[in-house]
Amino acid sequence: MTDTVNTDTAHNDENVDQKLKEAYFTASQGQLIWTRFKKQKAAMVGATVLIVLILWGFFAPFLTPYDPTIAGRNENYQNGAPQIPKFWDENGFSFRPFIYTYERTRSIKTNFRWVTEVDREKRRYVVLFPQGDKYTFLGMNFSTHLFGVDKGKIHIFGTDSTGKDIYSRTFHSINTSLAVGTIGVFIAFVLALIIGGVAGYYGGWTDSILQMITDAVRTIPAIPLFMAIAAFIPDHLSSEARFFIISIILGFIGWPTLARRVRTHLLVERNQEYVLAAQLCGASAGHIIRKHLLPSFTSYIIVDLIISFPYMVLSETALSFIGLGLKDPVNSLGVMLQNVTSADVLLNYQWYFIPVIFFIILVLAFVFVGDGLRDAADPYGDTKK
Amino acid sequence: MFQFARFAATRAGLAIITLVMVSFIVFTLMEFVPGDCAERYLAFKNTQGAGISIADIEAERVRLGLDKPYLIRWVTWIGNAFQGEFGDSCILRVNIAQLLGQKFWISLGICLASLLLAYIIAIPVGIISATSKSATLNNSLRFVSYLGLAMPNFLLALMVMLFTTIVFGDTMTGLFSKEFRDAAWSFDRVKDFLSRAWLPILILGWSATAFAIQTVRALMADEVGKLYVVAASARGVTGRTLLWRYPARHALGPIINSLGFDLNRIFNELPIVALILTLTEAGRLLFEALARSNDQQLAGAIIFMLTASIVGINFVTDIILALTDPRVRRSILG
Repeated sequence: MTDTVNTDTAHNDENVDQKLKEAYFTASQGQLIWTRFKKQKAAMVGATVLIVLILWGFFAPFLTPYDPTIAGRNENYQNGAPQIPKFWDENGFSFRPFIYTYERTRSIKTNFRWVTEVDREKRRYVVLFPQGDKYTFLGMNFSTHLFGVDKGKIHIFGTDSTGKDIYSRTFHSINTSLAVGTIGVFIAFVLALIIGGVAGYYGGWTDSILQMITDAVRTIPAIPLFMAIAAFIPDHLSSEARFFIISIILGFIGWPTLARRVRTHLLVERNQEYVLAAQLCGASAGHIIRKHLLPSFTSYIIVDLIISFPYMVLSETALSFIGLGLKDPVNSLGVMLQNVTSADVLLNYQWYFIPVIFFIILVLAFVFVGDGLRDAADPYGDTKK
Repeated sequence: MFQFARFAATRAGLAIITLVMVSFIVFTLMEFVPGDCAERYLAFKNTQGAGISIADIEAERVRLGLDKPYLIRWVTWIGNAFQGEFGDSCILRVNIAQLLGQKFWISLGICLASLLLAYIIAIPVGIISATSKSATLNNSLRFVSYLGLAMPNFLLALMVMLFTTIVFGDTMTGLFSKEFRDAAWSFDRVKDFLSRAWLPILILGWSATAFAIQTVRALMADEVGKLYVVAASARGVTGRTLLWRYPARHALGPIINSLGFDLNRIFNELPIVALILTLTEAGRLLFEALARSNDQQLAGAIIFMLTASIVGINFVTDIILALTDPRVRRSILG
């Protein structure tokens, strides 16, 4: 009896093993990359954080309590400190978290400057799903937000000099930065595919000349180049138009590195035996490119795109920070940091720096995911060490 | 010897072609800036109360040579640029070579110092991280160097400012203290300069170091497993001597080759860091010329000088590599 069970399980094991092997050999490139990617802890953590932040940014209109533009400002709480909800204080415990009431006063005592005073006796309670500023999401109009307070407004990250909620701005700006990065990467990718593709496929003289141009573009430091191009954007353009122009500029400057990669892939792949085999079978050039060459490196190109993504986001941030990129009604980290170098902010309003933390986490997550993907996409990655 | 000279000459020729191409790109870009020097100068005169007419603008254009065709102006510009002569600034009305002179060398010095700092740290750290078996060490080094990539220099500069203002009550900005700002160079001025310049050098070196560690690590990791290293250790060479004499020599070749692009990356960040730390050098001037005053002459001159230094360094590293690396030397000498 026991014997039969044993042979049974052994048989099962063999079966499973066989199936695993079969799965391994028949897996597509995407599946292989995913299997290797899953093994890397740091990259998986990065991916989780990244997905959470992207979703947070995507659902920002609902998850944040106020409109991030001037429409959602709190004129009674400018340059206000973060208001952290509490459960208890010297006046007792409450199941519902609360914040205090803040009042702006000025009198002879404060030398006629506006001063915010905290009234610890008047509690305001946090409520879920209140009706607030209207927003459009997926083409529909809503006004429900995740949380708010019963009276007045709550600012968990504080407010800026015009009274805009920093928490709302931070997560709306993730959206903007991702959008700029996506458009930039897409344009860079199309340019890289055309230029690198032509250079790699034809080789020879065409390749040499295109390589020289690519190298010349690479020699010019990118940010001065950004600055030079961004300086042409007329000031009177609407913020949306500016947004698109900035993304396009980022794309136009970001292509050389990608183009080099595409070219290298193509130069290596077009001399492979499977291409020769296909040619001997009488396949046309178009068929070879579509069915054999492109699938052989699409996954690597996707990895390259993800790796270059955070640099696009950072460039946009740097450009907006110095005032040449996006401008006020659009929210991005650079826009939010425009005024922080003043001594006033450094000494008194340090909560202006809170968004920085989220952006470092976002970019760090991207870098980890990109690096994990690069390792996973390397077919010789397993054999080393 | 003759072959080497031919190699050097080809490289120099290529460098000059690159420079000419870059100058064309820069000149074209500057051409796109709305308005030209003549309009800007006369607009300035207008604010001084002098009435101007279209005819005045045209006369000024002729005086500055702006009425000539685009290509001819480019050829004149580049001819002068190679002699270190960039004409007058549109807005500031002073000779650009004079205006830039010292400031440009200060900027270049700061960038080179950051580059040096980056590799002094990165080479030993990269080698250790590539050869050590300790997972904790590797992971923490990896995290630090990723942080260097994820936290751009200007954010670091902001953080340092935030920190120093809270702790010391001084923002640590500027390159000179008040009494030395316009003084002539002297020993005290150099001392004062060094006491302040370390901060921008450190900040600019930060992400360069992170990047360099990654490069050194990757190159070393590729070399360490190779057979010649195994053969050397079989002959009894061990430890630091082994690493230093065999894989490190091979791994560091490509690094010499990429120094120019590393410098490019550091230059890249200079204008923004300069803006935050209120440094008075070329990066700052470039920013002002582009963002505030649209001074295309000045901006073009700075970008051209930047690229010229990068191309120059690329040329020098090519020659150094050809002299030091026997593989490259063999391929040149045939």
